[in-house]
Amino acid sequence: MSLDAARRFVVGDDSRGISRKFVGDPSLVDRALVTLATSRGLMLVGEPGTAKSLLSELIAAAVSGESTLTVQGGAATTEDQIKYSWNYALLVAEGPSTRSLVPAPMLRGMAEGKVVRFEEITRCPLEVQDSLLSLLSERVLAIPELTGPDGMVFAHAGFNVIATANTRDRGVNEMSAALKRRFNFETVFPIGDFQTELGLVEQEAAKLLAQSGVGVAPQRDVLEVLVRTFRDLREGNGTDRLSTVMSTAEAVSVAHAVGLRGWFLRGEAGTPADVVECLAGTAAKDNTDDLARLRRYLEQHAVRRKGAQWQALHQARHLLPG
Amino acid sequence: MGATFVGVRHHSPACARLVAATIEELRPAYVLIEGPADVNDRVDELLLGHELPIAIFSYDADHASWTPFCDYSPEWVALTTGRACGAEVRFIDLPAWHPAFAGRSNRYADAELRYAEVVERLCREFGVDNVDVLWDHLFEIETGDIRERLSRYFDLLRGSAQADDGDAAREEYMARWVRAAVADAGDRPVVVVTGGFHTPALKAMTAGDTEPPDALKAKATTAGHTTSPEQPQAKTPSETEWPEAPETMTAGDTTWPERPKAKTPSHTTTPAQPHATTAGDTAWPEVPKSTGASYLVPYSHQRLDAFTGYQSGMPSPEYYQRVWADGPARAADALVESVVTRLRRRGQPASTADLIAARTLADGLAGLRGHPHPARTDVLDGLVSALVSEDLTQPPPWTRRGPLLPGAHPALVEMVAALSGDRTGRLHPATPAPPLVTAVTELLTTLRLGHEGEVRLDLTEPDGLERSRVLHRLRVLAIPGFDRVSGPAAGTDPALDERWELKPSDLRVPALIEAAAFGATLEEAAGTALERRAACAGLAELAGVVFDAVLCGVTSLSATVIASLTDRVAVTADLAALGHVLGGVLALWRHDRLFGTARDPVLGAVLDASTRRILWLVEGLHGGPAPADPDRLRALVATRDAVVHADPALAVARADVAGVAGRVAADALAPPDLRGAALGLGWVLGEDEQPDVGHAAAGMAAPNVLGDWLAGLFAVAREEVLSSPSVVGVLDEIVHALTEDEFLIALPALRLAFTYFPPVERERIAGAVLAHRGVMGSARALLRTEVDPLVVAEAMALERRVDELLEGLR
Ligand SMILES: Nc1ncnc2c1ncn2[C@@H]1O[C@H](COP(=O)(O)OP(=O)(O)OP(=O)(O)O)[C@@H](O)[C@H]1O
Ligand SMILES: [Mg+2]
Repeated sequence: MSLDAARRFVVGDDSRGISRKFVGDPSLVDRALVTLATSRGLMLVGEPGTAKSLLSELIAAAVSGESTLTVQGGAATTEDQIKYSWNYALLVAEGPSTRSLVPAPMLRGMAEGKVVRFEEITRCPLEVQDSLLSLLSERVLAIPELTGPDGMVFAHAGFNVIATANTRDRGVNEMSAALKRRFNFETVFPIGDFQTELGLVEQEAAKLLAQSGVGVAPQRDVLEVLVRTFRDLREGNGTDRLSTVMSTAEAVSVAHAVGLRGWFLRGEAGTPADVVECLAGTAAKDNTDDLARLRRYLEQHAVRRKGAQWQALHQARHLLPG
Repeated sequence: MGATFVGVRHHSPACARLVAATIEELRPAYVLIEGPADVNDRVDELLLGHELPIAIFSYDADHASWTPFCDYSPEWVALTTGRACGAEVRFIDLPAWHPAFAGRSNRYADAELRYAEVVERLCREFGVDNVDVLWDHLFEIETGDIRERLSRYFDLLRGSAQADDGDAAREEYMARWVRAAVADAGDRPVVVVTGGFHTPALKAMTAGDTEPPDALKAKATTAGHTTSPEQPQAKTPSETEWPEAPETMTAGDTTWPERPKAKTPSHTTTPAQPHATTAGDTAWPEVPKSTGASYLVPYSHQRLDAFTGYQSGMPSPEYYQRVWADGPARAADALVESVVTRLRRRGQPASTADLIAARTLADGLAGLRGHPHPARTDVLDGLVSALVSEDLTQPPPWTRRGPLLPGAHPALVEMVAALSGDRTGRLHPATPAPPLVTAVTELLTTLRLGHEGEVRLDLTEPDGLERSRVLHRLRVLAIPGFDRVSGPAAGTDPALDERWELKPSDLRVPALIEAAAFGATLEEAAGTALERRAACAGLAELAGVVFDAVLCGVTSLSATVIASLTDRVAVTADLAALGHVLGGVLALWRHDRLFGTARDPVLGAVLDASTRRILWLVEGLHGGPAPADPDRLRALVATRDAVVHADPALAVARADVAGVAGRVAADALAPPDLRGAALGLGWVLGEDEQPDVGHAAAGMAAPNVLGDWLAGLFAVAREEVLSSPSVVGVLDEIVHALTEDEFLIALPALRLAFTYFPPVERERIAGAVLAHRGVMGSARALLRTEVDPLVVAEAMALERRVDELLEGLR
């Protein structure tokens, strides 16, 4: 796909009937795509649930035609899972050979000239992160066990890395300066505009509900209350922010849960009372401070908003535990 | 020949180029420009040879606004090129004071922002972040002929928008100029340069006069129409009610003799419009008279960039200045260079590798976005990707179109600064200035205040007082370079002299020109400024305004402000604000001889009302132990001073105040600092008998209240405590009786309490303590401990605990 086509694929193009898949500044997508055409990798950072993984998947798919070359970062991630490992039966039988070699995503991406996704890179131990250094700077992966030309895999054009990192985790501060220099950083922000976020939540929740066999679409005014509540508690508009992440992704999942409750308990679309129950179960779970903030929000803010659904939300405050 | 319309975006270099090209090509008889028509007779003043940016600053009694010009403003280019080509140049828009401009401070704000919906849709269609990026993409970075695309763009904007009454009035007025000029020009061309939003309406309103000349027609047909978004018909705003036209003046010399129409318009576009039917249809419109005035002021790129929201226009003036002067390719390079220089000057990293990366990215982005050279945001996007290696706390400002929030990444800060630049304009020395500027310049000379450096004034001398007033008037008008270092302040002992720091600068004259909006003389201007401040001031601030008015010698204002002060004092529950008011007004009362506020009964009423209110609030204040509150202590100090120094003004009797004080001092529910202060107040006011401080203190000896109580006592009765060694002795005994642990608890509040004494007095207390204990020694040495007393106390407590442990082991 050309860069321009890749861009349309991600940000959408109404005139050609291509839907918008990532909601955000088109310039962010431009920068990301152009970065991948250079020798630096792309690092997507941001709060949880801002669609970093979604964006990296979309871009990988658009640029390489697939998004399956993925390393999932975690405390237990090892170099094996990044570069290559061995088929031990064959290794014992034949010794090291290209047959007994089991390529991991990086090796495949380099050999095939594709984009490799590295999810949650900052959750990996620092040494494991730094094992990317030589891959990215020399664009070659050495396999010392193999001799001859097989011992060096050179990156083909098209190879690059999209890493994602969550600012609530250890964050990118501890990442080595050397590795940072191999990446261009892009911060992904929560959706700025209320109507846009509402539209996205509505669309995604409707999709999920249809998949779950729910026969009614979510009610718009209930979703409005839900999304506004999320934004208030995320940004602290005249109230206290929650320490829990109130992301759009979380709003989608709460909207889904609300729809499920409404449909399977009562055969309807879900009410503000369901919203309160679901918020109590997710947003304010295991966190008494957040629970208190949420209660204050329902008591003092919801009551001042106009509209039947806001009043219903306020009325349902006693459903919070404790 | 008819009118050729060039619809522009204000401050767009691409439009400026188009304007210049059109005028040079057509050599028109008239160039008509969207701009204040009341300035037409002073166009020469604009062309004296200033360094841009400058602005026309217009004001009347209730409104001030700017009409800014920079080198690349289409309106400026129309003016200068029109002149150079020998055309008659006219501004054709309503004056700034006209109701159509109510609430507008920037005449050249982006009109289309008022009609955001279609802009949003276009941004979606072109896949860009916002209207500025769209504009760059469509017009600034294009090297070809933008004429066609420009008019399609504005047709689309206008087609979807409903013009408001203000727009309608302006367009109707501008259309009259166009008709008149076309009629007068006969078969010579007329070029009309207005905001593109107005162009479709003007075209429709003057239809019939507007055959485009052949040169332009040919171009129009070559420009491809195929990719054009469907083009809505420009709307004749006939459904809009026409507002009353500005009052008609009797035809003076501005009205040109009526001529037969060159071409009879085939139809009048606005049937309801009275003017269309009169014979004066092609007469020159009269310029409405106003009570206001207009003057040129130097302007700056920073101010040009600082308009926000509905007032904002094209951003990034320094960048577009470069585009205008050197073209987009060199402007891009200059932008990168400027950002890097700024970053390095601040010690921020910007390595050569980063720069290469930034350039590669910018080129790549330009390629992806179909630009022949990197455009503004191609460069910025490249820079931010290459220079920032961490998460940002806010989106890059050029993606969201708004100011930078505090705490932004240094790279973003420098990028925004580089875009704005620090270019400032300079007026030609012969530029007329408002009378205020001359008046102040003369005043400064006669009063020997024009130099740089310190000035000391003795306020008891008439000359000192006069100079002081002038300086204060300049200060309240926020004219730069007049800073008072010391002098009488609200609530303090009378000071009789002042020190000022004077610092002449280039900023003074522009500030004075703008201050002229407040009045023609310095006194009048200062009075208006204070009046505006009073209108939206809180209670505490209001006392400050009164004080400033007196310092300025502005007497007209004081009476009304003071009356409203009395009303508000009587109902407030804000002790801190009351303290401010009482302190401030009392200072005036006490300075009466200095400022001529002779025992003014109106001021007296404020004193009386405040004192009464404070006493009432204090007596009801309950709440148990709490840290001392300096604000309410200040209120009690002010009360003390009022009773002592302004007794005649107060309705409440001294004995009654002492009575309240006694009750509060004994009130177990009152906070400790207040009880201490009340005791102090009683002590000060008590005729001859001294209260039993020892007894009272014994009741407040608990370590968590002692310090706060003393803070109250010391705040109000500092001198009484000082001159009463026996009290010092009693206090020493109480403190001495505290255990080490208790002392540790009490220490922070105790230290705060003693800050009410200046160092000299602390030494006297230390002396009293030594004497009380019968010890010979240096009081000064006692105060000069090298170790923080808190550390000493902690060490003592620790030792004590070790002792106890050892004790237990035995
Ligand atoms: N701007 C957005 N555009 C499209 N979908 C969004 C957007 N923001 C949130 N979403 C929704 O949230 C989901 C994104 O979750 P995703 O896992 O990609 O986020 P993430 O940033 O990777 O979170 P984490 O840091 O927890 O991994 C999407 O599937 C979509 O439903
Ligand atoms: Mg993720």
